[in-house]
Amino acid sequence: MTGNGDYAIDLHHVEKVYRGKVHALRGVEMQVHPGEIFGLLGPNGAGKSTLVKIMMTVVRPTRITGTLLGHEVGHKPTLARVGYLPEHHQFPRYLTGYQALGFYAALAGVDRATRRSRAAELLDTVGMSDWGHKKVSTYSKGMLQRVGLAQALMNDPDLIVLDEPTDGVDPVGRRDIRDILLELRKKGKTIFLNSHLLSELEMICDRVAILVQGKVVLQGTLEDLTAGSQHYEITIQGTAPEWARHDTSIRIEPADDSQSKLIIEGSEPAPIQHVLDRLRRNDRVITAVTPVRETLEDLFMRAVVDPKTGRALAPGAGPSAPEAGTGEQP
Amino acid sequence: MRIALAMLLDAYRELNARKLFWITLVMSGMVVLSYGSIGFNESGMSMFYGLQQIDSEYLRKGSLMSEVLYRSIFSWIMVGLWLAWTATILALISTTTIFPDFMAGGSIDLVLSKPIRRTTLFAAKYMVSLLFVVLQVSLFSLGTFLCLGMRLDDWDWKIFAAIPIVTVFYSYLFSVNVLLGVWTRSALAALLVTMLLWSSLFGITLAEGLMYKERTKLVIQTERSDRLIADLEAHLATSDRDESRRARLMVEVADARSLRDTQNEAIDKMDRWHRPIRVIQSVLPKTGETINMLDRLLKRDTDVNILDIFRGNVVPDQSGGFRTTDTSQDREVQRRMEAEVNRRSVWYVVGTSLVFEVVILSIACLIFVRRDF
Repeated sequence: MTGNGDYAIDLHHVEKVYRGKVHALRGVEMQVHPGEIFGLLGPNGAGKSTLVKIMMTVVRPTRITGTLLGHEVGHKPTLARVGYLPEHHQFPRYLTGYQALGFYAALAGVDRATRRSRAAELLDTVGMSDWGHKKVSTYSKGMLQRVGLAQALMNDPDLIVLDEPTDGVDPVGRRDIRDILLELRKKGKTIFLNSHLLSELEMICDRVAILVQGKVVLQGTLEDLTAGSQHYEITIQGTAPEWARHDTSIRIEPADDSQSKLIIEGSEPAPIQHVLDRLRRNDRVITAVTPVRETLEDLFMRAVVDPKTGRALAPGAGPSAPEAGTGEQP
Repeated sequence: MRIALAMLLDAYRELNARKLFWITLVMSGMVVLSYGSIGFNESGMSMFYGLQQIDSEYLRKGSLMSEVLYRSIFSWIMVGLWLAWTATILALISTTTIFPDFMAGGSIDLVLSKPIRRTTLFAAKYMVSLLFVVLQVSLFSLGTFLCLGMRLDDWDWKIFAAIPIVTVFYSYLFSVNVLLGVWTRSALAALLVTMLLWSSLFGITLAEGLMYKERTKLVIQTERSDRLIADLEAHLATSDRDESRRARLMVEVADARSLRDTQNEAIDKMDRWHRPIRVIQSVLPKTGETINMLDRLLKRDTDVNILDIFRGNVVPDQSGGFRTTDTSQDREVQRRMEAEVNRRSVWYVVGTSLVFEVVILSIACLIFVRRDF
C-alpha cells in the first residue's frame, strides 16, 4: 500500500472507468495535510464527485492506492472519523431535522446521549435550532444544506468532506458556513471542499487542486501556484517612454486612451524602483503602482483552457483508454 | 446493535409516514371487528354485534357446529382471503418503493459513507422492511386471538404463529421485489414482476394440485381394480367344478387386468407431466403451502371442513361430534390429498422456500454491493 500517515488524505493512481469505457479518473495523485482546508476545483465532468465518492466508498475505484486518515481507502471503520455532505443530498422526507441528525449519527456509531447533545448544539451552530422539530420536507434548499452540514459534523469527525456545501445557500448562509469551516480548522479538523465557487474557495482554502479531464493538473498553496504570475503594474499618463519599450523586463499594455501600463514580472518590489525613478525623471505622471497576483479564477481558467487552441477543454474525462475497466456510471 | 436499532426506528418512521400502511391497518382492523361481530347465543348466531340474528339449534352457543363455523371463517376468510391475498397485495404495493427510495441518488450516499459494510446495510434494510408485515399481522393476530377467546372461550395462543408464518410467506415475495428493486431501481417494475411471479406460483401450485388429484383418482381406481382382481381370483380358486362359471370368471379377470393396465398406463402418462412440475415446484417458494402451515398448526381432531357440513358429507353424531356420510371416490381423493399435504414437512415447505429466498437475496445483495451510486 502506498500511502503516508502524515497526510489526512494521500491518494495515488486513482482511476475509475465506468461502464462504456468512460474514464472518469485517470491516475489522480493528491495529498491533503491534516488541519488544512483543501479545495478541489474542476470543470463539470472533470471527475470531482467521482473522486469524492471513491473516498467515501460510494463508488468503487478501478484502481487506487492511498490512505484516508492513515488507513487504506475503503477501510470502513475509518469512516467513523469522517463527516460527509454529498452534493444534492436527500434526507428522508418523513424525518425532522433532529431525527435526521440522530439517524445518520447512529449509523456513524455515535451513542444516544452524544447524539442528542450534539444535534442541539449543531443545529444551533448552523442556525436551524428553530426548525429542528419540523419535517425536512418543509425545508428550503439552503436549510437542507445547513442541516446537511450539521449532519456531517455529528460524529465530531477529524476529516470533513463537503461536496458543494454552499449550493443553494444565500450570501448570509455562505458567510455562516465559511465561518463554521474556519472555526473547524482552528480546532484542527481537516476540511476537503469540492466547490464551483472559486471566490469562496480562495477566501478559505490553504491548498487547492484543479482536476481537469480526470487528472490533477495543479496542486498546492495559492501562493505557490500563483508565484510565477506575480507582477507589478505601473500606470502612467500618456504613452510609454521610448526607453521602456526597449527594456526587455518591461511589458507595455495600453490601459486606456490617455494612459499606459508598464508590467514588470516578479514579486519583489526592488526591481521596480529604478523604473519609477526614471519615470519621475522624465516627468511622467504615475497614476498607480499595483502589485498583481493571479486570482484563483485566473488560475482555474489557465488550467482548463487548451493552450493549443485557446479554448476550454471539453467537459468530462472523455471516452477511450487502452485498459477497460468495470463499473457503472451512476 | 446500535445500527440495527437505528434502522428499525427509521423503518417504523417510514411506515408511519406511508398512508397505505395506515389504510391497510384500518382495513385489517375492520376485518377483525367484522369477525368479532359474529357471536353465538342460546338461540343461534348473531351478526353485526346483535343487529342480525340467525336462529338455529346447531349454531347455539357452545355447540360444536358454532365452533367449527367460527374457526372456519378464521381459516377461510381471515387467513385465506385477507392475510394471504388482500393484505399481501397491499403490503407489496406499500413496500415496493422501500429499496428504490433507499438507493436514490443523494440518499444512498449518506448511508454508504457511514462505517457500515454494504452487506450489513442491505441485510438490515431488508429485515426492517418486513416490519410492515410484522406489525400488521401482530395486530391482526391479537384481534383474532381476542375474538376467538371471547366468542368461543378458546384462548388459542397458537394464533400468534401467524406472525412468523405470514412474515416468512411475505418474505419470499418481498425478496423477489427487492431483487428487482435493486436491479432496476424501479418500484413499478419490481411490483409487476413480483405479482407475475406470485401468479405463476399460484398457477404452478394449481396445476400440480389438479394433476395430483387426477393421479390420486387413478390410483384409487387401480386399487379398486386390484381388489376386484383379487376377489375374482379367489372366486376362481373356489369354483373348480363349474366350468362355465370358471370361464366367465376368467374373462372377468382378464377384463379387470386389462382395465388395471390401462389405468396404470394413465398413471404413467400423468407422472410424465406431474413429476417435472413437482421438481419445479420443489425449488420455488411455496406460498400457498406456507400459509397452509397455519391451518395445519391450528387444526384439531374435531375440526371438519365447513363445506362438507353444507354439502351434507358430514353430520353431527350422538356424541356431539361429526361423522362422515360420504364414502364416494371424491371424498377419498380429498382425504388422500389432505394427507399428502400434511405429510409435507416444514423443511420441505418452508426450508426449500427459504433456500430460494436466500439465493434471490444473495443476487440482490451482490448487485447492491458491487454497484456504483
